[in-house]
Amino acid sequence: MTSARNNILSKLKSQVKDADYSKLPAEQGFNYPQQSFSEQLEQFITHLENNHAQIIKLTRAEIGKVITQELAARNITSLLYGDNSQYTQDIEQSDSSITLNKYSFDFAQHKERLFNDTPAGVTGSRCAIAQTGSIVLWPTPDEPRTLSLVPPVHFVIVDAKTLYPSFGDLIEQQQWADKLPTNAVLVSGPSKTADIQQTLAYGAHGPKELIVLLLNS
Amino acid sequence: MSVDQVNPNDESKYAASARAFRDNVSRDLANDELRSNFRGAMDYLVDKRKTALSDSDELETLREQCKLIKQRCLVKLPHLLEALEEKLTANGIKVHWAETITEANEIIAEIIESKNGKTVVKGKSMVSEETALNDHLESRDIECLESDMGEYIVQLAKEHPSHIIMPAIHQNKKQVADLFAKNIEGFEHTTDVDALIQQGRNVLRDKFCNADVGVSGVNFAVAETGTLCLVENEGNGRMCTTVPDLHIAITGIEKVVEHLSDVPPLLSLLTRSATGQAISTYFNMISHPRQQDEKDGPGEVHLVLLDNGRSQMYSDDELRQTLQCIRCGACMNHCPVYTRIGGHAYGTVYPGPIGKIVSPHMLGLEATTNLPTASSLCGACGEVCPVKIPIPKLLLRLRQESVKPKGAPQVMKGQGSGRKTSEAFIWSVWSMIHKQPLFYRTSMWFATRLRFLMPKKLGAWTVARSAPKLAPKTLHERIKEREQAAKGK
Amino acid sequence: MSQVNTLHLRDYPKNPTKVYLYGTCLADSLFPDSGIDAIEFLERQGIEVIFPQGQSCCGQPAYNSGYTDEAKAVALEQIRHFPLDIPIVIISGSCGGMMRHHYKDLLKDEPGIEKFCDRIFEFTEFLVNSLNVQLNDSGPAERVALHTSCAARREMGVHITGKKLIEQLDNVELVTHDYESECCGFGGTFSVKHGDISNVMVSDKTKNLVNADVVRYVSADWGCMMNINGSLEHQKESLRGEHIASYLLARNAMDNTGDKS
Repeated sequence: MTSARNNILSKLKSQVKDADYSKLPAEQGFNYPQQSFSEQLEQFITHLENNHAQIIKLTRAEIGKVITQELAARNITSLLYGDNSQYTQDIEQSDSSITLNKYSFDFAQHKERLFNDTPAGVTGSRCAIAQTGSIVLWPTPDEPRTLSLVPPVHFVIVDAKTLYPSFGDLIEQQQWADKLPTNAVLVSGPSKTADIQQTLAYGAHGPKELIVLLLNS
Repeated sequence: MSVDQVNPNDESKYAASARAFRDNVSRDLANDELRSNFRGAMDYLVDKRKTALSDSDELETLREQCKLIKQRCLVKLPHLLEALEEKLTANGIKVHWAETITEANEIIAEIIESKNGKTVVKGKSMVSEETALNDHLESRDIECLESDMGEYIVQLAKEHPSHIIMPAIHQNKKQVADLFAKNIEGFEHTTDVDALIQQGRNVLRDKFCNADVGVSGVNFAVAETGTLCLVENEGNGRMCTTVPDLHIAITGIEKVVEHLSDVPPLLSLLTRSATGQAISTYFNMISHPRQQDEKDGPGEVHLVLLDNGRSQMYSDDELRQTLQCIRCGACMNHCPVYTRIGGHAYGTVYPGPIGKIVSPHMLGLEATTNLPTASSLCGACGEVCPVKIPIPKLLLRLRQESVKPKGAPQVMKGQGSGRKTSEAFIWSVWSMIHKQPLFYRTSMWFATRLRFLMPKKLGAWTVARSAPKLAPKTLHERIKEREQAAKGK
Repeated sequence: MSQVNTLHLRDYPKNPTKVYLYGTCLADSLFPDSGIDAIEFLERQGIEVIFPQGQSCCGQPAYNSGYTDEAKAVALEQIRHFPLDIPIVIISGSCGGMMRHHYKDLLKDEPGIEKFCDRIFEFTEFLVNSLNVQLNDSGPAERVALHTSCAARREMGVHITGKKLIEQLDNVELVTHDYESECCGFGGTFSVKHGDISNVMVSDKTKNLVNADVVRYVSADWGCMMNINGSLEHQKESLRGEHIASYLLARNAMDNTGDKS
């Protein structure tokens, strides 16, 4: 369809051939008031809780124990987790009553298993955003995209040290424009919908529960 | 393919339903349940937005910023599209261009067939509604299932979305329950929304797991990084773009933004204007197909860029502002007409105020001649638009195009088709009277003196109102008398 | 930097002594009392009011119907009759919006059009922002509602000034009715071209006004009031709207304490 391409582009170009980009008006963003770290953290937590996420503050040493407790409370006995990721060893400290499954397989070969036989998954996160209560997932070969998407319960480990005031600040400071991964996702709560009579319901297609393990030391 | 096999009518099926606007309106105004569903839904959304955008300084600064971002991206549009294509291609995403909806559908069908795809799961995409993609794929024996809960409901009901953000807003939970009962095997009857959603979820998870292809829309396509951004709450968008091995995204050419840093302000106003959310549950950014060593994600990703009337909007400085739209739906949520007649009456893919200014370019002014006039120009839409599209002004402009005399320079498809000789005559007489003061005063003198002749019935006006009564004397006369009396004192 | 409601942020003339009145076509043939009352009220504030006999209609009906040339001819004729550089006070918000904002587009090639447009002031905004009127209420206690017309509200900011004036009346309780900011369904030719939609809108508006349990509603826009009053009369409701100029004149009767400092 190169003709479509050429037709569209030439139509558009003929309209702006004299455009002088230097004359474009200056764009001004809103200056949000500066917030202390504790205010940002509070904002982050409030947003997530309002969006029905569960927040558990803990130390790194407690990760295994807390995951064990939370799974037990849900009568879940197995957990899918990533290989070689930042928190792999911490996750492996969970109780032996939990069957730990490493995501060391190709998704296409194990779709059914992931959809039907994987009640919970755990991932780390790259960073987080205070202004909107968002967690940034940056999937890797070790922690694939579906690990945070398909299991109905998603544990996500967030280090409060990685909190940024806003999405804009984050993009700029981490220079995202230079290199983005295959997929990056901002998650701000469990899956939800208000498509039936504006009534909120959780667990539409993605995880029904988002459990945030918040490291704050 | 021989000429005979080509659909002779390249016109969208929506042209016919837009032509039936007046009948659609009568039908839907008479439906009390529908009207109460819309009123309730709009009140809810208006309230949500108001809460989320309570700081008017922030709101107005962001609106101005977002308007300028979109206007910059539009001035640079052809170059950004080329940059986007180059970057996406370098990232391994294949780019396709379509001038018409038929071309777009054909491109998508061919991609799917080349991979022997039989089943498609679709994330919410208004552009694919615009092309009527589902119908086209079905005609090629490809099953196409909507996966957004609202879209799924609408598809089961064999309807179209009545709102661009909340497609099934015209139905209440009881109606959805009845619909599920008819269509979902083993449905356990309930009107509990949680339980309804869970049953929908179960059906659709199975489909996600087994589908060959995922089709999605795009909210922002970032030229700088070659990234497709999707805004959603349910996770179906992530499913469609992650689980099947083939992902095809379709979007309008106006969705390209220059920089990644353009996204945060637009995203912030988009979700807050639409549903009052600080951000959607998921903001999904896709920059590559599955790369080496990755264990999941589609092996192939395609982007189809659709024109379908957009280059026509682009060809006029004023009308170009239509392309600033980021599809938040706030204009319809605040529209007193939309609130009354609902989304289906428009007959177009995009209903409400934005639909009235977009559809005439997509379907031509002849099919949509009733849309720009079906507004009291109250201005609520323009007031809330996050990118400051002057919607009332554009409605006026389309009214002008609609009644333009023959021989005027060509601006858009179907211009002048709304011009009626009788109406044009009335306005020319009106103008003649009002531009000549003496003639005007004399006419008004006679009108007020002959007021006993004024009919009690004045067409559509007196269906629900009493006719206004002419005064015994005009204001002009009374002031003159008053002045003379003062002089006489 | 605040950018709130920039459309109607403007400078107001200080200590004006003389103004033009723009009466509007609806007031001319249907509701002349409101024009007379506006003049009376302004004169009591010590303002000399000039009513050019050459005025007819702002051109809005044709303009809103897409007949630009026809509207333009009429608009051009209007500006000819207001030569002095003094404020033009207009007793209808939507006509005010037409002359203050839309003339800039419609007559963009006309020299000095910006200056003309900047002289247009809606009646209530002029009273509040230019004359700083102080009202002394001499009427009985009553409950009233205010219908803020859409063009007036969004283009002229009149919902603010109308409210401010009524709130000065000690014996009047200003009642907010449901969906106060929503359109009454008039919209000029819209009410005839799409009568069925307009009818539903005005039915809702009248229902909300009636439910507000007020003795009258007040508005600064005869287009809306013709629509709402017509519907109320059709429904055999006793509630009626009154032009704000007439209402203020009646309430402030015989009492000239306007503060013109």
